[in-house]
Amino acid sequence: MQEEDSGEDNTFNEDSILELAKSKPNGISNNDIKNEIPNVLPEMWTKSVNKLLKAGTLELFKDKGVLLYKYKDPSTKTEVKGSDNEEKVVYKIIEEAGNKGIWIRDIRFKSNLNMTQLNKVLKSLETKKFIKAVKSVAASKKKVYMLYNLEPDSSVTGGAWYQDQDFESEFVDVLNQQCYRFLDGKREAAIKLGGGPLMCRNRSYASAHDVHKFISELGISKVQLSVDDIESILYTVVLDNKAERTVNPSGEYLYRAINPFLKSPGIVRTTCGICPIVDRCADSGLINPKSCKYLTDWLND
Amino acid sequence: MSLQQRNVIKLILVERFGNVIADVGDIIFQNPSSLYTIVKSADIPLSKVKEALSVLIKYNLATFKLNTDAITAIYSLNVKNILLMLRFPKFINLIKAKFDESYEILVEEILLKGCLTASELIIKVTKRLQEQKNVNILLQELKDNFNSLITAKYVMRLSLQSLKVDELFLLPNIDLKEILAVLNGGNDTLPDAGVYWTINSDRFHQDLRDQLIVNSVTNKFDENMGELMRLLLQQMYVRTDPWVSSSNPIPILEVKEIVKKRNTHPQLVAFFEQYVAILEQDVTGIIRKVGEASGGSFQVEMKHIFTQLTWEAVEEIVNEKFDSKASRIFRLVKSRHYIEPEQIQNLVMIPAKEVKRILYMLLEENFLVVNELKRSATSLGPSKSFTLFHIRLTQVIRTMIELCFKTLYNIMMRRCHEKYLNKRLIDKKHRVDTITHGMRAQGISGDSVLDIEEMITPPENEILERIGKMMKKLSLTEIEIDDTMFLLEMYLMYE
Ligand code: SF4
Repeated sequence: MQEEDSGEDNTFNEDSILELAKSKPNGISNNDIKNEIPNVLPEMWTKSVNKLLKAGTLELFKDKGVLLYKYKDPSTKTEVKGSDNEEKVVYKIIEEAGNKGIWIRDIRFKSNLNMTQLNKVLKSLETKKFIKAVKSVAASKKKVYMLYNLEPDSSVTGGAWYQDQDFESEFVDVLNQQCYRFLDGKREAAIKLGGGPLMCRNRSYASAHDVHKFISELGISKVQLSVDDIESILYTVVLDNKAERTVNPSGEYLYRAINPFLKSPGIVRTTCGICPIVDRCADSGLINPKSCKYLTDWLND
Repeated sequence: MSLQQRNVIKLILVERFGNVIADVGDIIFQNPSSLYTIVKSADIPLSKVKEALSVLIKYNLATFKLNTDAITAIYSLNVKNILLMLRFPKFINLIKAKFDESYEILVEEILLKGCLTASELIIKVTKRLQEQKNVNILLQELKDNFNSLITAKYVMRLSLQSLKVDELFLLPNIDLKEILAVLNGGNDTLPDAGVYWTINSDRFHQDLRDQLIVNSVTNKFDENMGELMRLLLQQMYVRTDPWVSSSNPIPILEVKEIVKKRNTHPQLVAFFEQYVAILEQDVTGIIRKVGEASGGSFQVEMKHIFTQLTWEAVEEIVNEKFDSKASRIFRLVKSRHYIEPEQIQNLVMIPAKEVKRILYMLLEENFLVVNELKRSATSLGPSKSFTLFHIRLTQVIRTMIELCFKTLYNIMMRRCHEKYLNKRLIDKKHRVDTITHGMRAQGISGDSVLDIEEMITPPENEILERIGKMMKKLSLTEIEIDDTMFLLEMYLMYE
């Protein structure tokens, strides 16, 4: 987004520099530019030059130790502006989507192209390396398109939890366990310290910062985890009913390991309570309680 | 009335009363009917049906009312009381823990007989215990104990007309002299003839409920908190009917005094205020402060407690039936009330595919429901509607109760079947036991007894041991399943 910040002046500069380069087919040097557009600060026009270089409108080469910029005809190079209208439209739509990317259906809606046309255009843009398709983690089959040189947003790649669009379940599980271990340890320590139940309770609270420090020191993570990442993990511990979350006066979340009310309910201590085929189990028929193997195994346990 | 429930009821009746009564019970379970209809559809002789009905009525398992034609009686089954029989072991344990053995035997006899008069009961129990104690002392003790069971409302009068509350617990006229005379072979009519007593299941349930609460609080916090909870409940009864959903205010100083006087939990004495504060501040909302005066007074939130416990049980069932990922998702949906699938994915940190699979599974098994919200037709965009997941707890609980019945039936069925398979051996063991017992009673010992005992071969003994273990495990499981049913019933009752 840097290019946009520098505003309209720069487009003006770019035009003048291009004019200059066009007029001298053998190339222009830095000095030439300085002389021809004297009223512009060097920082400004170097920026413009860089942009033009990047866009491929200018070419850089060296002649006898002097850097020269040469104009490159857009019709001979593979630039979007030289492509047909449809490609331009689609390119623009994709550009607008930024690094979050855009879904093919949305491109279709916005461009009013039919599917075959659109596919052709996308293919062509892709082979020319103007755009790329990135698999989004939001849905396995969903691809989003973005400009080729962009780094996909974390909402597309999934951030720390994804490697090549694959969710790292095991990593998350390990972190979940370690976070709980930390909270549990904290509670144990608080009980050991004694000093009354209130003190015990208050000492067993930990913030995501505390946990983050602990996890970082453990060194189990290959990637750098943020405090927010740990906050997300801690929430899963809360959802597992192993911890509770409260807000302290400054609005920060505090976590604490907790015990459940109940031991596991009687019904799930039997095989039938957790049996996946319970609906097909009846007195007569192949699946029945008299000869059920699950039950037999459980009885002989 | 479901199929599963019907199956369980039939099995209970078969086990305790035999096939004829079970068949008659089954008919009036499906349709309350007149004697004539029962005989017709059961294909059982009239006399047997009559006998069956009178047994059922005596045990308070069936009732009858006058048909619209004002001539015939219509019999119907008392489903609740039949299922209650599964809970009898718990009732007996409860009394045993609270009082002593003679109380236990009193209650046991009432449960065994369904209903009987005070004098009959005392005579029965005396016969069981007279070897251990002097009969005169025993009689007095039993009379006192029985009266205190009435005062504590564990037993109540059985009557065909509906009685007022204080009539239900009116002490009977027990004449120990007359009872002694009967014990010695006389056959006078006793003064309390015709006044029948039965157990008051509500009172037992109240105790079971309190026990459940105290145990749960102990699990979650610690022993001291459990004791605090126990005393809160005890003091609650001073001003509150046992079954209201939130108690009248309890002055906390009152509880503190008791804690101090009993002095069984020094930690609780030392940090009393802190314990109260923690319980009150806890997110579970077990008690609520309602007054500031003199140390504060608190309400026990009965209904709320059972909502919490039930949620936890259901979550745990999801956890065991599926896996920890499923219970994580289930808890998230619970805490958000309504939630979109995309949101779930981001918060539970489970791969998208897995989340989808679990959601589908939970949906399939009725743990979740889906609400489709339509966007207004004018709005553009690819998705015209969005999906919200939601939990209807009452519906989940009904599914759970069904599952409980089904499981219960399977376990009972298996128990009967194992018994049936090994009937020959079990019978043999029985015979041998009776014979050796008789021999010992006659003072015979030594080789001749051993000879008889050896009729059961070592491999047979091994099998018997295995069956014994199996039976124990199965019966224990039945009781545990009933624990779950009890919790769910409590929830539905408060709802
Ligand atoms: S008896 Fe076996 S098949 Fe039937 S519900 Fe139980 S575990 Fe499942």
